[in-house]
Amino acid sequence: MSTITQADLASLDDGSKKEIMTFLESENSKQKVQMSIHQFTNMCFKNCVSSVNDANLSSQEEHCLNNCINRFLDTNIRIVKGLQGLQ
Amino acid sequence: MALSSIFGGGSPSQQQPVASGSATGVSVKEQLKTQIAQELAIANASELVNKVTENCFEKCLQSPYTSAQEGCVDQCLAKYMRSWNVISKAYVGRIQQASTSGEI
Repeated sequence: MSTITQADLASLDDGSKKEIMTFLESENSKQKVQMSIHQFTNMCFKNCVSSVNDANLSSQEEHCLNNCINRFLDTNIRIVKGLQGLQ
Repeated sequence: MALSSIFGGGSPSQQQPVASGSATGVSVKEQLKTQIAQELAIANASELVNKVTENCFEKCLQSPYTSAQEGCVDQCLAKYMRSWNVISKAYVGRIQQASTSGEI
């Protein structure tokens, strides 16, 4: 892993540095979405999947998962708006 | 180590050739990107392993934990991955919806 040295980094030209910054920004925002999906799946799976007798989701479970994520986002938006109203 | 090999993470043989061409800008840049992408893939994989283990342990096993409940754990893993897909689709859909309507 320790193959990139300080000298290697210093030798990067401005174009490459810029490209790496852009790459980092896009990876960063992708990663934020990924981590949110981890969090939402964890939360909604706990609330919607009650027992495991089958490898497939039942239609109720799938319906519940969809509602769970949508209502969570609705709540989040509502909270943000509410807090904005307080200012 | 097991994780990185499952999810296509860095095996030493992949990294050796890049290291030798040290000073050329392109290889350092590409190497940096590859390393970042690999670290993120590993972080995501271990997050998934932790979350699935936590949930399926809770759903399938009971105190005093005498049997491993392998069948239930396998089904639970499949269910969790399907749930992941449902949530991911719905969430990304909402993000896209919000960005086209100018909310973001």
